Amino acid sequence: MSVTTVLRDDVRNTRRSFVVLGVIAVLTVFVGLIVGSDASAHDYPYRALFDVSFFFFLALPLIITPLTYLAVAGDRDSGAIKHALGLPNTRAEYLTAKYISRSAVAVAGILVALVVGFVVATVAYPNAPDPVRFLKFGAVSALFALSMTGIFVAISSMTKARSRAMFGVITAYFVLGPFWLGFLPVVNLGTIIDTVTSTLGVTLTDQTMGLIQSLSPTVAYLQSTEFVYAGVLDNHEMIARNFQGDEYYTKLWFNSLVMGAWAAVTLGIGYVRFRVAELG
Amino acid sequence: MQCGVLVTSMGAIETTTLRKEFGDVRAVDDLDLTVEQGEVFGFLGHNGAGKSTTINMLLGFLSPTAGEIEVLGHDVTEESRAVRQRTGLLPEGYEPYPNLTGREHVESAIDAKGADDDPDELLERVGLAPEAARRKAKGYSTGMQQRMSLAVALVGEPDLLIFDEPSSGLDPEGVALLREIIQTETERGATVFFSSHILDEVEKVCDRVGILSHGELVAVDTIDNLRSELQAGATVSATLETVPDDLGLDGIDAVRSVTVEDQVVTAECTDPRAKMRVLRALDDRATVADIGIEDASLEALFDQFTGDEVTAPDETAAEATESPPEQAVAPDGGDR
Repeated sequence: MSVTTVLRDDVRNTRRSFVVLGVIAVLTVFVGLIVGSDASAHDYPYRALFDVSFFFFLALPLIITPLTYLAVAGDRDSGAIKHALGLPNTRAEYLTAKYISRSAVAVAGILVALVVGFVVATVAYPNAPDPVRFLKFGAVSALFALSMTGIFVAISSMTKARSRAMFGVITAYFVLGPFWLGFLPVVNLGTIIDTVTSTLGVTLTDQTMGLIQSLSPTVAYLQSTEFVYAGVLDNHEMIARNFQGDEYYTKLWFNSLVMGAWAAVTLGIGYVRFRVAELG
Repeated sequence: MQCGVLVTSMGAIETTTLRKEFGDVRAVDDLDLTVEQGEVFGFLGHNGAGKSTTINMLLGFLSPTAGEIEVLGHDVTEESRAVRQRTGLLPEGYEPYPNLTGREHVESAIDAKGADDDPDELLERVGLAPEAARRKAKGYSTGMQQRMSLAVALVGEPDLLIFDEPSSGLDPEGVALLREIIQTETERGATVFFSSHILDEVEKVCDRVGILSHGELVAVDTIDNLRSELQAGATVSATLETVPDDLGLDGIDAVRSVTVEDQVVTAECTDPRAKMRVLRALDDRATVADIGIEDASLEALFDQFTGDEVTAPDETAAEATESPPEQAVAPDGGDR
């Protein structure tokens, strides 16, 4: 009962700000543009989903940042948390409601964007879009959104100042995304592991490196999209190059588990900290 | 005001050697405090004295460094939800949810407490107009926000009301309404814990006061008893038609000094209860044309209790007569 009370308040409060509109609008515009522009170069809409997946991988965490980093820290900073927790709501209920509320907006943004993308694809491509592929893509993208929202809300719950929450969320984005996947030149997870293993005089197998790479929610997301292209990978070498290997850590179940675990574990840690946080 | 149906021997709030430290700073220092059910208890102190820290611990917002807190029979550290179910809070210095209306804040409290209050009735009771109650709270003035918070606090007829600086931002009409609400709530048996530095307000509504200074509770009693304890007393002045040679005041122990100027006799009393004896003695010996009575104000008492140097009762009483109350403490109670 209390979860629904806090949830309703948070949804109302967030819905009436520009954040919700902004997140949905940005996702929708970009997905529509990607799908539309890809039509001039490709015959099949699923090729556009591949580009959208990289857009989500790189930009979705940043787009949901304003939605998430103040989820708890903002209330603590303004003192509004005294309204919710001065009532008989527990901190667990409060945090749960915040996560559900912010996740719902992120997932809604993805779904709206993909619906628009589907409509654009229907009009712009010579071959009709496959709704099952869009549904599959929507499902794993929603899971990615749930994962990143969980991480960011957890960080928000561990901080009481807006600036720290922002710093924490941006740091998490760079570490789990560009740094982990090796987008950052010179210093990234791969170079650091190389340095450490060289110093210790040990060698990691490709499988071990692959497993480590797959432990990031962003990498897990990219790998999890493989099942969207079931049956067409042989025709698209460029897409297929991203899904090589048949190890367990490349499977959908493992990638889903990684994304879910990141949300669950970080929210768990966030709750443990928030449960005893000083709210004065 | 102690006429509630819930009055029992159990305290509404009981703290035992309650302590809160922030690093090297001891914000609350071994606080032993009992607030009886059904009373209006004034919690006084300068800014930074530890009032809000204490309130935050009463509600489970802060964990005590040491000591115990029981509120309405519940251990706050273990059962803060049960405490908050039966408590109405008007917090100090917080911002409401900017995009929720005042009415929605009250609805939120009604839902969370499982109460069956009518939000419109509560909002009307605190004087928040219906059109204002349907506006987003981010446009509220401080006074409107206080009224909304008061309505939230009143949801579910709580057994304990905790008001942290409730008069802040209220206009005189709002302050009078607040007094009326406190009166009504105590009549139905609620306990009111009233933290404020507006001493005039506290004096008007509180049965007892506790004075906090540098985290320590330096005094707890009724205001009259605090006056007696400090021998702060009162001043009685009487205008006599003819001043007799013998005023008959020598036999009254509590009279510290007597001065006569023109036809006005002024007697300084160390005990406020001596006022009537002074007046009767004068009335027996002369025709009293006019009288004036001035009790030592709560501000003067507050200043004496929270002074940096502890002074003996005789000395403090002397200081009380030498220093007018309005000079003894800043009206806004700010840090000095």
